[in-house]
Amino acid sequence: MRTKKSLVLAAIMSLLVLTAAPAAQAATPYEAYTYNYYADAVALPAPFLPERIVNGASLGVGDFKLPNDLYIAKDGTVYILDGGNNRIIVTDANWNLVRIIEGFDNNGTRDAFGNPNGIFVSDNGKIYIADTDRRRVVVLDGDGSLVKIVENPQSEVLPDNFEFVPLKVTADPAERIFVVARGVYEGIMQFNDTGEFLGYVGTIKVQPSLADRIWRWLATDEQKSQMVLFIPTEFSSVDIDHKGFVYATNIDTGSSETIKRINPLGQDVIKRFGHYPNVGDIRYRTVGSDSGPSKLTDIKYIGDGMYVVLDSNRARIFAYNDEGELLYAFGGRGTQLGLFNTPVAVEWQNGKLVVLDRGKNNIVIFKPTRFGRLVHEATSLQYNGNTSEAVVLWKEVLRLNANYDLAYLGIGKSLLMEKKNKEAMEYFKLGMSRKYYSLAFKRYRREVMQEHFGAFMTTVVVLIAAFAAFRIARRVRPGRSAGHEA
Amino acid sequence: MRHEWKFPFHILFHPFDGFWDLKYENRGRMRVAMVILLLLVVATSLMKQFSGFLVNYYDPRYLNTLDDLMFTVLPFFLFCVANWSVTTLMEGEGKFREIVIATAYALLPMILINIPLTFISRFLTNEETAFYWMLNSFGALWFLWLLFVGNMTIHQYTVTKAVVTLLLTVAAMGIIVFLGALALVICMDMYWFVYDIYRELIFR
Repeated sequence: MRTKKSLVLAAIMSLLVLTAAPAAQAATPYEAYTYNYYADAVALPAPFLPERIVNGASLGVGDFKLPNDLYIAKDGTVYILDGGNNRIIVTDANWNLVRIIEGFDNNGTRDAFGNPNGIFVSDNGKIYIADTDRRRVVVLDGDGSLVKIVENPQSEVLPDNFEFVPLKVTADPAERIFVVARGVYEGIMQFNDTGEFLGYVGTIKVQPSLADRIWRWLATDEQKSQMVLFIPTEFSSVDIDHKGFVYATNIDTGSSETIKRINPLGQDVIKRFGHYPNVGDIRYRTVGSDSGPSKLTDIKYIGDGMYVVLDSNRARIFAYNDEGELLYAFGGRGTQLGLFNTPVAVEWQNGKLVVLDRGKNNIVIFKPTRFGRLVHEATSLQYNGNTSEAVVLWKEVLRLNANYDLAYLGIGKSLLMEKKNKEAMEYFKLGMSRKYYSLAFKRYRREVMQEHFGAFMTTVVVLIAAFAAFRIARRVRPGRSAGHEA
Repeated sequence: MRHEWKFPFHILFHPFDGFWDLKYENRGRMRVAMVILLLLVVATSLMKQFSGFLVNYYDPRYLNTLDDLMFTVLPFFLFCVANWSVTTLMEGEGKFREIVIATAYALLPMILINIPLTFISRFLTNEETAFYWMLNSFGALWFLWLLFVGNMTIHQYTVTKAVVTLLLTVAAMGIIVFLGALALVICMDMYWFVYDIYRELIFR
C-alpha cells in the first residue's frame, strides 16, 4: 500500500517537474530559431525577451501618429521620428523625455517637417531628417538649429523632371550623406558635405527570369512597349558602421543579395559565407498566408561585424555575424507584448534591441537573455580575435543549446589556433564546416605522417619486397598460373 | 567453379571477348550476377555511411540500407525489363537471362572502385577530393562503357543501333514508371469509390 502511495506521489512530482521546465519558454509569444546546415529551422532558447513598451502616452507627449523611424545614438539618446505628427521626440537613454523638435528656424522663418520618413544622428550629434513631402533632407545641429538643407539635386545623370523624394538617410564621418529616395532605381543617392549630388552607390543588378525572357522573346514590338520594364527594386533602408561602410537593405524578392554592405567606392562587400544566403528566412510557404520571402525593411549595424535586419513580411528580426551567418531569428505578428503589427525600424541601445511598431504606435524594448548575451559576447570576442576567451562562452552556449552550429565552429577555430588539430576536426565536423575541417585534417595528417614516418616507410618497403617475392615465386613455378584465363 | 567467379573480371578488360563468351559459350551465371548486384547495394550503403566527411554529402538522418537495396535492385530490373521489351521489338538476339547477367556484370567496376574509394576518401583534404570525384565518375563511365558493349554484343547490334536502343530503353523505363503510377492511382481511385459507396450505405 505504502509503495503504491509513494509511486503515485512520484508520478505527481514528475508531472510537476515536467510542467515546470517549459514554463520559461512559454514566457515568449514567439519562437526563436536558426537554420542548421540542412536548412532546417532549429529551435533556440529565446535570445531576447520583451522588457517594456514605450508609447506617446508613457512619454507624456500624446499618442504617436504613424511613427516612421527611430534612431538611437551611441550614448543611448533616442530620436523618435513621429511622422504623422511631423515631430521628432528626443529622450535620454532611460526613455525620459528631453525635448520635442517640431520645426526649425529657416533663415528667420519658422519651418516645419512634411511627413518625414527617415532619421539619422551622426556621432557628433547632427540630426539628418529625410523630409519626404517637402522633398528635402534637413540637417539640424544637436540643439535643433539648422545646419543645412539638401534639396533639388542638380546633375547630368538626373532627368530634367526629377523629383527628389527622400525616404531614408544616413551619413558617414566625412559628412557625406546617403539617401534612399522613392522612384530612384539606380542606387543610393550620395551627397557631399556641402549638399552637392555626387552620384549613386550600390546599384542593384536586375536579372529577368527565364519565363520573363521567353515572354519577351515571343512578344511583338507593340506588346513589348506595353510590358513592365525590368527595373531593379529600390532600397528600403540604410545604416552606417564606424568605418563609414553603408549597410543597406532592399526588397528584391528572388534575389539572394537583399542585404548589402557598400564600401566608399560603391561596391557591395558584404560577406555571404554562411551555408545559405543572408536574406532572412530561407524556408517559407510560397502561397497562402505568411508566405513569400522576407521583406527586409530596416537594418542596424550593432557593432563587431554583427547586424540585425527587420522582416516586415513576417515581422521577424534576424541577426547576422560578420561572415553572414545567422545568429538567431525571432518575432512574429500579433497583439501580445513582443509581437508586432507593422514593425518599421529596429535599433540597438547598449545591448538591448528596440523596435518601432507603426501599427501599434509604440516602441518595444527587448532585453537579452543569458543565451542572447552569450551569443553576442562570444561573437564579439571572436570577431576581435580573442578566440580562447570566446571558447568559454561558446561552451556555455552549447550547454544552453547543443544544436548551435556556430558555437562548435567557434570552439573549433580556437582549437585550431592552439594546434589541437584532432579535437578541432571533431568540432568542425559537428559545426558542419568542410572548409575548416579540411584545414584541421591537413595539419593533423601531416602531424601523424611526421610522427610515424619510419613505420610508414618500413611498411611500404616490406610490401614492395613481398610483392616482388610473389612475382618471382610465380615465375619460378609457372605451372600454377597456367590456364587461368581462356 | 572458380572460373565463373573470375569471368566478370575478365569482362572488365576484355568486354567484346567477354560478352561474346557470355552469350555463345554460356559463361554467365545468374548467381554471380545476383551476388554482384548485392555487392553493389553493400558498396552503396558503405559509401553513404563511411565515406569521409569532406565528400559525404548524404544527410545521416535519412540513411537507410533498405532504401539503398530498393533503389538499386528496382531500377536494375526496371532497366532489364525495359531493355528486353525494346530489344525484342528491335530484333535483338539477347534473351532476358542474358540481359540480366550482362547488366549485372557491367556493374562490377562501380563496386571495385567505390569500395576502396570509400576507404581512401577518409584520408583526403578538400583539394584532393577532386581525385575522389574523378575516380567516382571514372567508375560510372566504365560501367556505361561495359553496358554499351554488353548490349551491343548480346543483341548483335551495330554501334548506332546499340546507342539508339539504350536511349529507347531509358524512355521505356520512364513509360513503365508512368504506367505503373497510373495503374496505382486508378486502383486507389477504384478502392476509394467502393469504400465511399460502402460508407454511404452503412451510414444511411
